[in-house]
Order: sequence, then structure tokens, then C-alpha cells
Amino acid sequence: MGAKCSKRAKKTATGPRRRRRRNRLRTCRTDERTMAQRRISGGKLFITAVYLVAMCRAVPVNDLLDRASQRSDKMHSLSTLLTQEMDSHFPPYGRMQMPRPADCHTSILQTPNDKEQALQVSESDLMSLARSLLRGWVDPLAVLSTNAITLPHPAKSSISSKIQELQEHSKSLADGLDILSGKMGPAAQTISFLPYTGGTDLGQDRVTILNKFNFLLSCLRRDSHKIDSFLKVLRCRAAKLQPELC
Amino acid sequence: MMKKVGEVVLLWLLILFIQIAAGEGYSPPGKPTNISCRSPEKETFTCWWQPGSDGGLPTTYALYYRKEGSERVFECPDYKTAGKNSCFFSKNVTSIWVNYNITVVATNSMGNTFSNPVDIDVVYIVKPNPPEEVVVSVTEDKDWPFLQVSWKPPKMADTRSGWITLIYEVRLKLENENKWEELSAGQRKIFKIYSLRSGGTYDVQVRCKPDHGFWSEWSPTTRVKVPEYLPQERSMWILIVVFAAFILIICIWMIYMNFHSVKHYLLPPVPGPKIKGIDKQLLKSGKSEDIFSSLVVSNFPPTTSNYEDFLVQYLEVYVPEERELIMDEGKDLQDDSFKTENSTCDNDSGRGSCDSHTLLIDKGGGDKDDGQQTDQEGSQAEAETKSHEEVMEEEHLACCHENAQIPNISKEKEKVKSWPSLFSPLPQYSLSPVNRPNKPKMGNQHCLSDGLFTPNSLSSYFTQPGPSTTKGFRSNYWECSLDHKQSHLLHPQTAAHEHLQAENDLNAAYVDYMGAPLDVHELSVRPTEYVEVQRVSDEDVVLLHPVTPSQENSYTVSHQTEDYSRVRMVNNNNGLLLLQRDDIEEEKNMCPYEEEMVSRATSTGCRASVTPTLQNSATGINTALPILDEKAASGYVDTATMFGLPTY
Repeated sequence: MGAKCSKRAKKTATGPRRRRRRNRLRTCRTDERTMAQRRISGGKLFITAVYLVAMCRAVPVNDLLDRASQRSDKMHSLSTLLTQEMDSHFPPYGRMQMPRPADCHTSILQTPNDKEQALQVSESDLMSLARSLLRGWVDPLAVLSTNAITLPHPAKSSISSKIQELQEHSKSLADGLDILSGKMGPAAQTISFLPYTGGTDLGQDRVTILNKFNFLLSCLRRDSHKIDSFLKVLRCRAAKLQPELC
Repeated sequence: MMKKVGEVVLLWLLILFIQIAAGEGYSPPGKPTNISCRSPEKETFTCWWQPGSDGGLPTTYALYYRKEGSERVFECPDYKTAGKNSCFFSKNVTSIWVNYNITVVATNSMGNTFSNPVDIDVVYIVKPNPPEEVVVSVTEDKDWPFLQVSWKPPKMADTRSGWITLIYEVRLKLENENKWEELSAGQRKIFKIYSLRSGGTYDVQVRCKPDHGFWSEWSPTTRVKVPEYLPQERSMWILIVVFAAFILIICIWMIYMNFHSVKHYLLPPVPGPKIKGIDKQLLKSGKSEDIFSSLVVSNFPPTTSNYEDFLVQYLEVYVPEERELIMDEGKDLQDDSFKTENSTCDNDSGRGSCDSHTLLIDKGGGDKDDGQQTDQEGSQAEAETKSHEEVMEEEHLACCHENAQIPNISKEKEKVKSWPSLFSPLPQYSLSPVNRPNKPKMGNQHCLSDGLFTPNSLSSYFTQPGPSTTKGFRSNYWECSLDHKQSHLLHPQTAAHEHLQAENDLNAAYVDYMGAPLDVHELSVRPTEYVEVQRVSDEDVVLLHPVTPSQENSYTVSHQTEDYSRVRMVNNNNGLLLLQRDDIEEEKNMCPYEEEMVSRATSTGCRASVTPTLQNSATGINTALPILDEKAASGYVDTATMFGLPTY
């Protein structure tokens, strides 16, 4: 089309012919222009679409992970404060004299025991582990929350409020991890079921109740630390674009 | 028997051995305490314990641990790496998220002692090493330098994989300070510090902490010096000093300019004594006798039976005819006189009280006709005297000055508050001595000698009217006046003493004629004992009217029109030159002016006499004789102070 336009433009025009030829030239040029414009716009559109897709994939994951790790950090801090508050009125010496209860209900889940093992786990598996642990604590937290109100402990009101806060954090973190796992592949979607069999009632006498409460809180503290660690490892792995964080 | 002895010996030996052993302090070791474990990177950890007493015997320590979920007991693999009384757990034996139950046992030959077990989880005991490679650099930023601190995480901590997340903290202080300033840096490894002291030297340290763990130790101090970037403040101080000095100079200058007013404000002058009759010079000279003699009044308590003599102190002579003339003449001058008088006289300046002559006119003579005659006769003299008005005014002023305190005329509603007030409005007499150039300060015509005019003498004069004498008096008065004027003309600025001499001569001349009764009345000769000063005309003329004992009411003046004479002037001896007046109405017309005149006169009444008549008489009545006007010859009333107070 451009060649046609150029050929026509070569002839010199005089008089009315000139006008006709000019008009033809004009239309020819405009046609070319529109075609070029369409091409450009199409290309631009395509590029932006690709870019958006690419961007949508990479940046949000990193940002989501950062937010998730911050929430898990908060959860662990809360659980640490809870145990310290419990111990302030319940010295560990007395606690040790009681027979140790069984392991945490989440101990059946295989988690890395040291750094080498942890770093060898894939991101999807790490995500799955975190999500499983988080899911496994929904029920025990409810039990803790109900029992904290009637806990024979001087700081039960503070403990109760912290447990409620923990529940909220856990809920929001679970939602966030669900979204994140959706972007990470099928392995991240699998969640191990960790049932809690302790029952709603912690015990009859004061010592038993307190002992069980303490035990549950210690288990919670550890599991929240695990979740936090896994998510922070995931964050540093995903933050290849921002090495200053890790 | 032997066995028993052997057993006994053995028993004794055993007891001895035990006693020996106990005596030397051997005992099982004490319990190890304070087991603490730390992990620098969440991969290994070390435990330390505090050994108890060793019991006097070599004691060994062993650490046993048991992992959670297993009953198997392990002993510490490494007692040496971490130093004495420590146990180092390497990576192989370290598990995270696993409870370790650790117990330390102290053993010696006497026994062993177990410490309290300790449960630890490695992930909770992380205490990293301090950050490394701390670099502090001073960076210039538009003449405002700042410190840039950068560091690296400790080598052991694996932050790259995210295994450990470290949070950093920077602190700095000046070289010679004690208090550190701590700043949180988060997870960054570069930190900028602003607001530095110019030319100061800073110490910077960094430490780190895992997200859930313990703070590390501070890194070694890095010292850095900040260059001088603030401009010297000396220029500002110089500016401030110059400005303050400038203001100080201005303040000093202002105080210097207003020194007197400031001094007056801060240290008000002490007022002098204002006792009437006290001569300041006499006080200074120290002659107490003279002072007190002046205070002594020979006639006090007054022997006169009639106390009204003392009440009435003013002789009012009403001369209506002459009043107009005098009024016309003196109107222009009065305004000026009032102004000058007001400006120069202050009642209580404390610089010495004014002359406190109290002119007392006990009885008004009947020289109204004389006053009239004098007015008429003296028209020429008036013309002549006009030229000498300045002098006369001065004299009058002198009289005014002398007459400070004059009691009010009780009888008249139109009260003249002070004797000077009567005379101050006199025409052309109200002249401030200061303003007139050629005024002889000594322009005092003493037509009357001092001390001659006591109330009694006045009364005596007035009670003995004699027509013949008045004329003679008048002529003499004229002579006096003329002489005085001549003296003034010839010697406008003669010395004080010369003037006084002339004045004294005149006084002597006056005295002679004063012997004649003053109340020679052309129209009627009526012995009147009282003369009240009815008012002072706006011409500075004191209107006097005689008041008979039966006639105390001023409103009865109408019957005594003939008796009124106008005071023409006041002489130095507190003599009132009275002029006769015939017309009361004129006098009354002058009423409205009186208040004004009185008010003006009062303001100027207390002027110190400028006359040098201080030396005249012991009694001190030194008043300047005003130039006697021909009009005043008839109505002359000598008004000496009652107590013969000296003048100033």
C-alpha cells in the first residue's frame, strides 16, 4: 500500500488533475497512517497484557509472603507472651514435678529437625507444612479460648484476650496462605490433617487444668515458630529480586 | 579377747579416719548452678554452668542430656571448645524444635551432686554474634554532613536463606559523653545519622537480634570525626555586643539629657521652711535672736478689743470713676501680666517660701476722694508713668512676691484670697521681673518705711482723717512717685543699695505724710474704721471700700460709694495706694473680673520678691514701692504686715 501511494505521488499534477491527485495522495497517506496506528496500538496492548501477567505473577507473591511472615511473627510473639504470663504465676519448677504429658498432637507431622533438612524442603512442601500446622490449631485454640475464661489463674483475662487475638491472626493467615498456595502448585494445596483429641475439657482440678493449659501453650509456641520459620524461608527464597531483605 | 581388742582398735581407727577426713573439709561437691545455653546461629549451641564448691577434692563435671521423646541419656560431646565448665553441642547433635533436658553432675571422691535439670529448645536460645565489618563514613550533603553506618551480619548467621532473620540496632555517642543514643535500623544494613555536632567525634556501635531471640553483644566501637560545617558564631556575638552597646549609649544619653528631671523625680528637693516671717538669711546666719525676734509680735495677743480687725485684712476702696480709666489702660497689660505671672509663679516650689507679708488693712481710710483726685490729677502723671510702666509693674510684682499669704476677706463674697492676688492684677504691674530688660530689680520705691505700718498704726491713721494732709500726702506721694520714677529713669539699673536709699528717702517722705490721716474725703469726711478690699479689678486694682462696724454687709456699699477707693498699686512697704471711686456700678461691673483676677493673682501671689530689700529693716518689711500714680495719692493705704514679718 505504501508502494502504491508512493507511485502515485511521483507524477506531477497541474490544474484540476492536480487536485484529484492530491486528494488521492491524501487518502493514501491517511490509510497508511491508520494502519500504522492500529499496528502500534495492537502491539502496545499485547505488550501491556504480557507485562501485566508477568507482573501479577511475581510481585504479589513476594508481597503476600512478606505479609504472611509478618503475621506469623506476630502469632509467635503472642504465644511466647502467653507462656511467660503463665509461668509468672506457675513456676516451672512446680511444673516439672508433674508427669510430662504426651507429645503435642501435631508431632505426627514430619517437620525438618535442623537447618539442612529445612533448606532442602521445597517451597510447596514448606507451604503445605505451614498450612497443615495452621489448620491443626484451629480447634485447640477454640478449646483454649473457652477454657481461658474460667482458668484458675490470676492473669486469665489477659490470657484470654491474647488467645482471642491469636485466633484472629490464625484465621487471617490461613486465608492468606490459601491464596498463596493457589499460586504455588498442587503440592502446596495438600494439607495434612492434624486432629486434636484432647477434648474440650482440660481437667477437673486446678493443677491438672493449669498443667494441660501450659502444655497446650508450649505446643502452640513451637508450632507457631515452625510456621514462622517456614514462611520466612519461603520469603527469602521468593525475594530474589530484593536481596536486601535476606 | 583379742578379737574384741582388734575390733575396738579398728573402730578407733575408723573413727580417727573419719574425723581426720572431716577435719580437713572433704565433702561431696556442691551442686552446679546457673546452667545457661546459647545458640549463635540456630545450628549449634553451648551450655555453661556454674560449679559449686568442690568439697576440697578434685571435682569433675559431666553434662548429660536427654532429648524429648526418648529416655536415652547422652553425655556432652565436647567440653573443651567452649571453655571451662561448658559443653558445646555441634551440628550433628543439635536438633531444633526438640526439647533438651540437660543435667550437670559434679563428681569428686566423696560423691557426686546433680544439678537441677534444665529444659531448653534451641530455637528459643538464639543469641547471634555481633555484626561485623562496621564501617562509618562521613558523607557531605550540601554542607550538612551525615554519618553513614554500614555493616555485615555475623558470619555464622545464615540470613541469606532466611534461616535467621536479624534485626539491627545502632548506637552512637560523642567522644566525651556517657550516654548512648540507640537507633533502630530494622533489617537494613545501612543506616544514616543526621544532626551531627560540628567538629564532634562520635563512637558508633551496632548489634543484632534474631526475630525471636536475644540481643547480641555490641560490635567494637568505631570512631569517626565530623568536620566543622557550622559557621563561626563569633560574628553573631559581635553583632549582639555592638547592638547592646549602641542601645546603652542611647540610654545614657537620654538620661543625661533628662538628668534634671530624673534627679528631680528620684530625689525631690526638700522644701524649705514656709513659716511666715522667717528670714532665710537670718536662719543661715545663725542669729537666732533675730529670727525669733522677727517672729515675736509685740502686739500679740492683740490688745484691741475688736477682733474684727483681724478678720478684715483688706481695705477695700471703691473709686468708680477712676476705675474705668485704669481699667482701659491696663487691660492689655493684664493679659500679659496674667500669663507671665502664671508662668513664673509656683506656689510650692520648695525653693524657699515666698515673702509672706500679709498685708493687713484694718481700716479703710476715706481717701476715696483723694483717690479720685489723684486720678484726676495724675492723668498727666499717668502719661508719664506709662513709660515707666515696666518699672512699675516690676515693683508691683515685687510687691506681689512679698505678699504671699493673705487671708481671705471674710466679709466679702468676692474673696481675695491672697494679698498678692489683689495686687497682681494691677495694671502694668504684673510684670515678671525676668522678662523685662530694664527693670531694675531694686525698683522698689519705698515710699513707706517698714515697720511703720502696724495694724494699730494703720487704724490710727485711718481714724484720724484730715483733709489737709491728704493733699499734701498726695503731693508728697507724687513727689515720691516722681522722684522714684526719676530715680528709675536716671538709674534704671542702679545698684540695689542705692535704690534702697532712694526708697528709704521716699519712705521717709512718705512717713511724714502718712501721719496725716488718709481718709480725707472730698465729698464727705467720715471716719470709717474698716476698709475692706471688695475686689480686685482687672486692672490689678484693688477695690477697697471702707466698712463701718455697723455695715458689714458688702451690699451696703452703695451707700458708701464715696468712700470707695481703688488701690492703685502696692508699694514696697505693702502699701496700698488707693484710688477713690465714686461709682459703685463700675465697681460692680468689675465683679466678674474679680474672680478671674483673684484666681490669677493667687497663682502669682507667692512669688519671691526679687527686690533686694532684704536688708532694709529688721522687721524686714521690704516691699518695692510702685511708682505712685497721681490717682493713687488719695487712696493710699499702707498695709504693713500684721506681725511685721520680714521679707525675703
